[in-house]
Amino acid sequence: MATVTFDQATRVYPGTDRPAVDKLDLDVGDGEFLVLVGPSGCGKSTSLRMLAGLEDVNTGRILIGDRDVTDVPPKDRDIAMVFQNYALYPHMSVSDNMGFALKIAGVGKEQRAERVREAAKLLDLEDYLDRKPKALSGGQRQRVAMGRAIVRNPRVFLMDEPLSNLDAKLRVQTRTQIASLTRRLGVTTVYVTHDQVEAMTMGDRVAVLKDGLLQQVDTPRRLYDHPDNVFVAGFIGSPAMNLLELPVVDGGVQFGGTTYDTGREAIDAASGSTVTVGVRPEDLVLTAEGDGLAVEADLVEEQGADAFIFGRTIVNDKSHDIIVRVDGRRPPEKNSTVWVRPQPGHVHVFDATTGERVGD
Amino acid sequence: MKSSSTQAAELGAAAGVARQRRRRRPSVNSRSGLTPYLYLLPAFVAYAAFLLYPLIRAGQISLYEWDGLSLATFVGFDNYVEVLTDPELRASFVHALVLIFFYAVLPVIIGLALGAVLQRARVRGLAAFRTIVFLPQVIALVVVAIAWRQIYAPDGTLNSVLTSLGLQELARPWLGDYLLALPAVGLIGTWVQTGLVTVLLLAGMSRIPGDLYEAARLDGAGPVREFFAVTLPAVRGEIVVALTLTIIAALKTFDLIYVTTGGGPGNSTSVPSYEVFRRAFELGQVGSAAAIAIVLTVMIFLINLAVNRIGEREDA
Repeated sequence: MATVTFDQATRVYPGTDRPAVDKLDLDVGDGEFLVLVGPSGCGKSTSLRMLAGLEDVNTGRILIGDRDVTDVPPKDRDIAMVFQNYALYPHMSVSDNMGFALKIAGVGKEQRAERVREAAKLLDLEDYLDRKPKALSGGQRQRVAMGRAIVRNPRVFLMDEPLSNLDAKLRVQTRTQIASLTRRLGVTTVYVTHDQVEAMTMGDRVAVLKDGLLQQVDTPRRLYDHPDNVFVAGFIGSPAMNLLELPVVDGGVQFGGTTYDTGREAIDAASGSTVTVGVRPEDLVLTAEGDGLAVEADLVEEQGADAFIFGRTIVNDKSHDIIVRVDGRRPPEKNSTVWVRPQPGHVHVFDATTGERVGD
Repeated sequence: MKSSSTQAAELGAAAGVARQRRRRRPSVNSRSGLTPYLYLLPAFVAYAAFLLYPLIRAGQISLYEWDGLSLATFVGFDNYVEVLTDPELRASFVHALVLIFFYAVLPVIIGLALGAVLQRARVRGLAAFRTIVFLPQVIALVVVAIAWRQIYAPDGTLNSVLTSLGLQELARPWLGDYLLALPAVGLIGTWVQTGLVTVLLLAGMSRIPGDLYEAARLDGAGPVREFFAVTLPAVRGEIVVALTLTIIAALKTFDLIYVTTGGGPGNSTSVPSYEVFRRAFELGQVGSAAAIAIVLTVMIFLINLAVNRIGEREDA
């Protein structure tokens, strides 16, 4: 067990100007499950590979426990990694795959077999130990990849999108299995994914990255309820949060026909005459005609319990897309106009130029 | 419930349909039975005329003692007995086996080493390198043989290089040396085949996913173990193909020997193909030549069968 610390860690790929990972500062607690999430090219995989030792660290340091591992070769970092495509040795049996690292480390045959058996039992792989990877299903291969990591009994698990090659149903199942397994083993885990649902459901904490820069690290609930900037606000949550640029007026923001009181501090902290206001689809409520924003419903998507209105609204002569969640049993007609306003206390205010959260 | 009479009628009708079908079928069958073979006929005629017939003819000739002009005498399996007992002929087959080492084994070892290093280093100019190592394959073997004959000549390039390095005691007429002539010719084969083998192996290695190497690094494997755990098993198929091609080339060697040594000195570099040529066209022993050719064909077939069987078995 160990903590993991990124200390101003930076990676610049040769031949590029912009760092793939820019001065990353991140602390992962002992036994914590931390998820790195972000869009393609945000540097999440690079960060993980820096921690694994597969990628050079140009400046800054990486620590595992109290030990500086920045220049330590991968095999001596006491980590184990699960790859996106599993990277199982195709000509080796499942047990040889799982025991390969131990064999290299010089662990005796008996003890090796014992540890492989233990891991196999944990992952329900006992019947497949003599098979070659190609004779396994995708889910079984994924478990072998997990087993290979567990057998080594490492201080940190690194997982690079380990579920992206599974079908949707299996992905949901395996998601919970991995999360509960790593918690049961109590091993610190750094997990990379581009899927924000995975991030929210699995992580103790989630780190959101964009363009090599860390945007926010927080618990899933806090990320959802208190995004630090416009990017996190838009990235976390599905369907995405509505982000509208609204004029600042006396006592709050002009929300269509009404004034929404955002609180004094938010308005004072904002730099311009407009602010970006974020409201999640479920925090918008239908209201009387003329009250709040007029939304023209282009599409109404009924999902049973809920229905989502995908529509447009005009603010300052500019058309904005807007999504509203309504009761699935009484959805409005397509092409009709509805009026919405935010529920009090569920409005996020961001500076229109910097995109940073203002106010609370 | 249906009455029994309607049931019977239905059954009768069904039987009638079946009978009709049966009656119609033979005519359809006889046509569709022949048609596919008619399509095969042109190719088969060409194959039979240029491959099967000569092969059968060779088998037939091998049972006779014949000088190619006068009347042939039937001698049964005497020619085959000669192949197995005549020390000179046996030597030629042994030489062919030695050449397998130079044509097939050595190029595969060199190709694996080169491929593994290039794969790891991921150097620039790999395409240019591939072209250069492949070049010997493109040059006509007769041209290669003449070039190397001059390199190996008593006053050739190799000896002058050795002399300029102060190693003149090593200089010798390479192709005239009883012990060294065969390895010298063999190394020409190595030079020719290495390109083909390396390009084949590099193609195989380029298909190995990079994360396999990363997994091996994380598992603690060094370059050597990485080679044996990841690279070598991944290119087994390519190795089998390379061995098949080069072993055939080794056993069939003719032009290199013909141009460089003519089987000499003595018979120290004679090979089966060369013996076939010599006996059929120079010594007037066509029957014996045919027997050698048949034995060589069987040998090529068996060795390659073994190579492919081993390759497949370990793949399972």
